[in-house]
Amino acid sequence: MRPIASLLLLMAASQAAGQTSITSPRPDSVGVTVYRSPGSSDANEWNLDWLEGFALISERRTVAIPEGDSEIRFEGVAGGIIPESAIVSGLPDGVVEKNQDADLLSPGSLLGRYLGRRVQLQRTSKATGKVTQQEAIIRSGPDGAVVLQTKEGFEALRCTGINETLIYPEVPASLSDKPTLSVRTHSDRPASAVVTLSYLATGFDWRANYVATLRPDGRHVDLFAWVTLANGDPTSFRNASTNAVAGRLNTEDMRRRNPARATPLRLRCWPQSTTTSGLHTRNIGGFPDQSIAESLNRVAAPPPPMPERGGDDIVVTGVRMKAEQEELGDLKLYRIPEPVTVAARSQKQVAMIEQANVPVDLLYRSKMSGGDLYSTVLVVKAVNRRDLGLGLPLPAGGFALYEEWRGRALLVGEGSTGDKAVGEKVEVELSAPTNVNVELKTLERRKEIARLALTVANALPRPVVYEAELGSTEQRLSGFTGGKVVREDGKWIWRVSVPANSTRELRYETRQD
Amino acid sequence: MRSWVLLSSALCCASAALSQSAIPLPSQTAQGDVSVTIYNDNLALVQDVRQLAIPAGRSHQEFRDVSAQIRPETVSLAAPDLGVVEQNFDFDLLSPSAMMEKAVGETVTLVRTNPANGAEVRERALVLAANEGVVVRIGDRIEVLRDDGLPVRVIFDKVPENLRARPTLSVTVQSDRGGTRPVRLTYLTPGLAWKADYVALFDETAGKMDVQGWITLTNNSGTAYTRAYTLLVAGRVAQAQSRYDRYAPPPPPPPPMREAGTQTAPRPRLADFYLYPLKERTTIADKQTKQVSFLDVSGTPAAKAYEYRVGWLATADQPQSADTILRFSTSRDQGLGDALPAGIVRVYMRDARGNAQFIGEHSIGHTPMGSRLGLKTGEAFDVKVRPVVEERTRLGDSRWRSRMRYTLSNATPRSVVVDLTQSGLWGDSRITDESQKSERLSADEALWHVTVPANGEAAVTATFDTRY
Repeated sequence: MRPIASLLLLMAASQAAGQTSITSPRPDSVGVTVYRSPGSSDANEWNLDWLEGFALISERRTVAIPEGDSEIRFEGVAGGIIPESAIVSGLPDGVVEKNQDADLLSPGSLLGRYLGRRVQLQRTSKATGKVTQQEAIIRSGPDGAVVLQTKEGFEALRCTGINETLIYPEVPASLSDKPTLSVRTHSDRPASAVVTLSYLATGFDWRANYVATLRPDGRHVDLFAWVTLANGDPTSFRNASTNAVAGRLNTEDMRRRNPARATPLRLRCWPQSTTTSGLHTRNIGGFPDQSIAESLNRVAAPPPPMPERGGDDIVVTGVRMKAEQEELGDLKLYRIPEPVTVAARSQKQVAMIEQANVPVDLLYRSKMSGGDLYSTVLVVKAVNRRDLGLGLPLPAGGFALYEEWRGRALLVGEGSTGDKAVGEKVEVELSAPTNVNVELKTLERRKEIARLALTVANALPRPVVYEAELGSTEQRLSGFTGGKVVREDGKWIWRVSVPANSTRELRYETRQD
Repeated sequence: MRSWVLLSSALCCASAALSQSAIPLPSQTAQGDVSVTIYNDNLALVQDVRQLAIPAGRSHQEFRDVSAQIRPETVSLAAPDLGVVEQNFDFDLLSPSAMMEKAVGETVTLVRTNPANGAEVRERALVLAANEGVVVRIGDRIEVLRDDGLPVRVIFDKVPENLRARPTLSVTVQSDRGGTRPVRLTYLTPGLAWKADYVALFDETAGKMDVQGWITLTNNSGTAYTRAYTLLVAGRVAQAQSRYDRYAPPPPPPPPMREAGTQTAPRPRLADFYLYPLKERTTIADKQTKQVSFLDVSGTPAAKAYEYRVGWLATADQPQSADTILRFSTSRDQGLGDALPAGIVRVYMRDARGNAQFIGEHSIGHTPMGSRLGLKTGEAFDVKVRPVVEERTRLGDSRWRSRMRYTLSNATPRSVVVDLTQSGLWGDSRITDESQKSERLSADEALWHVTVPANGEAAVTATFDTRY
């Protein structure tokens, strides 16, 4: 059994104040469920440093629990962990308390923990190379440089021009290089336990992206959807059973509240101006000063490679594997059927939906209010029913419509859709340049009544369907000539088929109260 | 200077250090028997009983390892036969520059190292100034320290008394007698706070829920509290407010509580507060988040419901998801049987493989036992409502007739009930016609319980006679 062997090797136990400390360095298996950010707009590019979704991480770890009181330290948890969300189960006698220390091992925190404790001060002579060590006590913390007490008196570290350093006997048990969650537990006898550790972590997100390719008949599309997962965390999850959850969850403050941090070490000295401080000297034979080194770097460094879509950071797993959808309460869970590695600071794409030959209606639509006209958009309409070629939950996401032209795919337009349940009408408005031009003219104005003419001109060599939303039914419209206007869902709608290369016109009156 | 004489107790003086072979090590923490009482609103009361040897007469006592954010004006010190003369809180931290500035007028030792052969030369020097650079007098010469760029060690004989590695409270006391006795130090400090976190595992088919409650306390006060007896107080403590936040609006009432309970929880209480003592003493490290369990209930009845609230004259272009509500009670029977301190409830459900998955969270305020709660965990993917203003007619100068149509759809294979609320019915609004009988919750709100069949639709229409 490999996990047990590695366990015995890696679990360094140290006695401290009657309490044994055990370290579990990594999980045996891990599950990652990614939740999308509630308010994300799909139009924006992702910034891996600022992902607003989150993830539920469930880890399984094998831990050897000693007799008596012990502290179990779980290393390698996600950096964005929300510590108060952690759930630990599987310990024989439960959890006495859970702790998360936000202090990471760093020069500053090491010095801070050794405040008032004994260290070795090591000096190396520049002239002879002789190394001397002497005992010292640290008298000041990392905030204002280091004051040391030696047998001779009080000195400041590295204010002297001597090569000197501090040597610490060991790393304090409570400092880890990675964010660490720990629990205190009690057991009557030594036991090996399989512990499940679950927690929420920030710095994740996912998106659905629909790609629809219009068939030559112009009335069907081949629909394909990707789920794209993003992990902005410094932690990788190897062979993780990975899920994405669609739907809208209520969340409270999902920001990082107490992020793990490395205390910086600031070495400041007393004022060190000399009689020659105003002169600029070039160090010869020594280190070049900072600014020279920087300017050298700037010249020598090659330009960074152009960021490329579909490059190394985006892993396309291929269509052979498709995320499986299942119900999770009132949400939809998409399960990637095989364990995959969710690498640190990367994106991953897996197919989610593949539906060929979905019937769609294409139409052009413009909205107006009073005498104002808003821009015309191309609308892709479908009904999410099995008998109409769909009939599966469609999570919110970006939508791109392509059309084949001489064996090449051309982008017609891009838009987005909200969450669509089975049975719902689906409408995607595409921001695309159109060859259908709409004009709204005020012909006449009498007191509060305006007479308007709406003209739609089709420059395409095929007939199109055009729909105008003239306004809400609260507006008083009348005197329609040239077309039939209906009330639908609280709106005035004029729907007309415009033959190839021709125009249609509607005249009507609006009354301003 | 009198203060230099008092130095000896905390920071050992130079002459003693020089004569001894090993440097005396200060003990790890100066704290004694510590009790910490933490309130919700970023406030804690620390009581620290230390055994101190105090001589008769006037003496100077130092209290290291107090909170770095201590409110010095709240400090009180109590010990038998002891009176406080004055107390100071020293923020001036020990650093090389502070040490050099305080050494002006004092004599230090310089150790020069010969760069060619490493030979050391020692000299005594008087520090004349530490402005921008350090000017010293050695014998009858005036020099700028390290003007030639060669290595020079500066050894100070002592550290000035009021420079501390960490913020320290120093008190001058008058004692009637000499001897060791317990000294009780109490003070208030911000930087310590607590809240509750709940984990609810909801089993929809069984209509039951397991709930664990955790107390989460965070320490950002800059100091660790060693083996502290910890007590948490639930409830808002009236704090004197500073001038600039006096006009802050009161927080809105917590919406999840649908009916306030009237039962008393089986917990220790003090005035109007519930008290949550931690069972064991615990060390609260700095920058630490600590959680301790306080509630563990399994199989409490819980039910899922759908709610949707329509604003006045709202028309939706697309159907909108109804809210998914988790309803449960905190009452003695058929409930959690406890008062719930304010915090966040995180709700989980098992997926098809039996793994618990997160389905949403909601914060609650302090909730008495016996309350009914309705938490919005999220919005239903499959249950939607589309409100439409179908018609609006002006009846008179300030009279309108509005016809609303609410279309409800359900894509789940079970029939559901949606609690549909029309809000914003101000004043003398009347419902003149409706397709289903409504319940008038208040002057402002009307409620319909709408049954939506499995994989089907339902519609409600209503006509309102209103002033607006």
